[in-house]
Amino acid sequence: MRAVLAKASLVRHRARTMLAILGVAIAAAMLLDMVMLATGMRESFRQLLLTRGFQLRLSPKGTLPFDTDATIGDVAGVMSTLRRNSDIREISPVLGGSIHIAVRGRDVSASILGIDPKVQGDYELLSGNDVTAANAIVVNARLLGELRSKIGDTISVSTGYDPQTRSYSGQRALVVTGTVRFIYGASDQSAAAVRRETLQEMNAQLPTRAGDRASLFMIRVRDSANVEATRHWIESQLPNVSALSIATAIAQVDQRLSYFRQLSLILGAVSLFVGFLLVTTLVTVSVNERAGEIAVLRAIGVSRSHVIEQIVVEGVFISLLGAIIGLALGLATARYLNSILSAFPGLPMAIDFFLFQPRAAWSALGLLIASGIGAGVYPAFRAASLPIAETLRKEAIA
Amino acid sequence: MSESPIISLRDVRRDYALGAERVHALQGVSLDVVRGDYVAIVGPSGCGKSTLLNLIGVIDQPTSGTVAIDGKRVDDMSDREATQFRLRNIGFVFQRFYLMPILSALENVALPMAEAGVPKDERVKRATGLLTYVWLGNRQRHRPSEMSGGEQQRVAIARALANQPKLLLADEPTGELDAKTGTEIIALFQRLNNDGTTIVVVTHDEELASAARRKIHMRDGRVVDG
Amino acid sequence: MLLALLLVSALTQDSTVAKPLPTRERIPRTIAIDEVLADQAHLHVGDRVSISPLPNTPGDTVIIGAIVRRGADPSEVARGDLKVRLHLDQLQTLSNYGDRVDRFAIQTKPGTDIRSLIERVNGIAFGFRAYPSSEIAVETSRTFQVVSRFHRAIGIITIVASSVFLLCIMVLKVEERRRDIAALRLMGISRATVVRAIITEAALIAVLGSALGIVLGWLVSVFVNWHYQAVYRTPLAFSIVTPMIVIVAVALSLALGVGAGIAASLRLVRQPPLALFGR
Repeated sequence: MRAVLAKASLVRHRARTMLAILGVAIAAAMLLDMVMLATGMRESFRQLLLTRGFQLRLSPKGTLPFDTDATIGDVAGVMSTLRRNSDIREISPVLGGSIHIAVRGRDVSASILGIDPKVQGDYELLSGNDVTAANAIVVNARLLGELRSKIGDTISVSTGYDPQTRSYSGQRALVVTGTVRFIYGASDQSAAAVRRETLQEMNAQLPTRAGDRASLFMIRVRDSANVEATRHWIESQLPNVSALSIATAIAQVDQRLSYFRQLSLILGAVSLFVGFLLVTTLVTVSVNERAGEIAVLRAIGVSRSHVIEQIVVEGVFISLLGAIIGLALGLATARYLNSILSAFPGLPMAIDFFLFQPRAAWSALGLLIASGIGAGVYPAFRAASLPIAETLRKEAIA
Repeated sequence: MSESPIISLRDVRRDYALGAERVHALQGVSLDVVRGDYVAIVGPSGCGKSTLLNLIGVIDQPTSGTVAIDGKRVDDMSDREATQFRLRNIGFVFQRFYLMPILSALENVALPMAEAGVPKDERVKRATGLLTYVWLGNRQRHRPSEMSGGEQQRVAIARALANQPKLLLADEPTGELDAKTGTEIIALFQRLNNDGTTIVVVTHDEELASAARRKIHMRDGRVVDG
Repeated sequence: MLLALLLVSALTQDSTVAKPLPTRERIPRTIAIDEVLADQAHLHVGDRVSISPLPNTPGDTVIIGAIVRRGADPSEVARGDLKVRLHLDQLQTLSNYGDRVDRFAIQTKPGTDIRSLIERVNGIAFGFRAYPSSEIAVETSRTFQVVSRFHRAIGIITIVASSVFLLCIMVLKVEERRRDIAALRLMGISRATVVRAIITEAALIAVLGSALGIVLGWLVSVFVNWHYQAVYRTPLAFSIVTPMIVIVAVALSLALGVGAGIAASLRLVRQPPLALFGR
């Protein structure tokens, strides 16, 4: 009966109810978006880092992977040191750089990774073959388009380019053997990959880049529980490197993007407050109008708690319907906002700022519904506690 | 008619604040009503008759004095006790009907039964019977807005009888009705009393007052006659 | 620059002034460091430090000649970089870079026609190009362009949401007074008068609300700048309240407030007065 009364009461003022539901839906959508923003980046980044199961990354001391042009020397020595630790299952050395290719008199530049194809964790082969041969190169779709080439073509690739003399150095003829998707690649980036030894040979003529070097080592640890211990061990053995676990990498990125988390917290709190305010206003107006009816219910023997329940149920209906509509609205808005932020220069394509995580989302919407309940309780309690006789008298006069 | 008083008031006073002033709505009222009686409380506006009815109906509490319904003190009950007492023992009929506009006649009558925990089938059966009793058997599904004043008041009376109360209290039940409709209500009250219901009405309506077995006159918060 | 980062990491790792390693130069030269590095490594003007291209390798002993305040450069804000300035030749030698630079920054005489100068330079340049500084600034602040677009989107969403909230609350509050409105109508007061009265009230609330909002917005802006300038140690202004922003905000809130009042009041005056009483 209480639910029937509550529903009928809402239906009585359709326009008002619809408006309140819309208001709550918007508050719910904003709250959902802010929750997705607050947790999404970190989770998205974490998922990205774990794509190939590498839990640790080594970069030159004091830098983040590929943050600078610095490299780690004596790769063989580093690998040998790392292999002494039985917790380390796999090591993938990666050398980064840039390449230049002359295409119809025009210089096309791209970034390049020198990898070990047996253990690499930087790309996914989409078509063709991997870089098994020393003169093989794989490229992403964007670079293939810029080169106007196809799989099987031979291209002349250089690691050095002097714009003053317009001359190339470290040149090598490489065969395009396949197309790949770079996991950490940005959407606007042309990129390629070759065997690390190949890139090193091409770099031999560049004084700053010659030698057995790597920009980054990716490490897979046997037991996830030992990641931190392994990290400490590496830093103690190799003072020239910084070892980053996923947690520390996330913490670094978190620090740089802390603004978005703070923004999401503020806007989320405001949304929750506004949703609460809307429901409270609606319930207050609703019970003020029905003071007489409520007094009569009490007069005929309906208990105070039952009257409060009926009124609170109205608030819950609005919050629930608003939350459901808000969910759909929020997901659509999040997609739009994500598309704006995805244009950050150099941002890996796979990173989402707004990530839907069911648990966080349901918690947020649950919080909104709970606040809807809370919003209805006080006005309901006040209305149900009005002195019956006095209220009836006032209503009779009115 | 049984002799034991179903309503017993002793030296009841009711004061309340009206702005800065203090109003003495009831000034030491004592009276008894026996079971099965049909009492009309009459008097000029502001004499305290509605206040008296509210105290009997346990929707208000006296400033001092005692009120007993069927031997049970009701003047010092907690809100919860008073609410439960009203639900099971008292039926109230108001001048302005106060039906729930969003419920049908049947649902309005069933409302107090739902609160008392009566199962749904039983509720529907009893509500139907009550509406038939008040000559509205064919108007069960209509909303109050689809009914005349007289029909609405009859639904209100049926609602008041929902939990088979010991007492039926009515505050100006014909106040919003025309003469012809008022006569129907008077006839209904007569029938109810003949069937054993104890009724106390507050009224300005001479015809309604005359239909009662006993008249209590009030003036300035006191019983002057009856 | 990248060498400076390596240098810095070596220094801060020790968190004390490093003992001079075998040096190439006998007479120490001076360097300038930024205030964050000075703070983190507890360095002062006059301190001797060692700078090298790689950790734990021989380098040059230098003296800290100056501590430099950070510029208002958006692209540096979120990064944790520590910056050091060396004499050009010293950096070229240390880094084995040779007689090379990454770029030249050119300051022209007052009144110079920049566009034609750039054309002349590019006409004779071989392997490099000249750009106006403003173009470079736009390119390097792409990150903040994205953030600006994001803010704009959030702003639009907030305005739409606020409109709905405002309309909602206005409708509810005006409906609360339905009996008053009914009584006025029954007395013979015309619809137009009632609507005008409600709109006037809504406009007054909108004006007061706008004034309060401007003050609040300005205070929040001051707080945001204070907070983020401290966090990122930059003089960059993160939030600026311009006259145009104030005008747009006030105009919008007035329009929304009055609009909501109109919508709410029209809804009610259309109904017959007795219906408003619930009869």
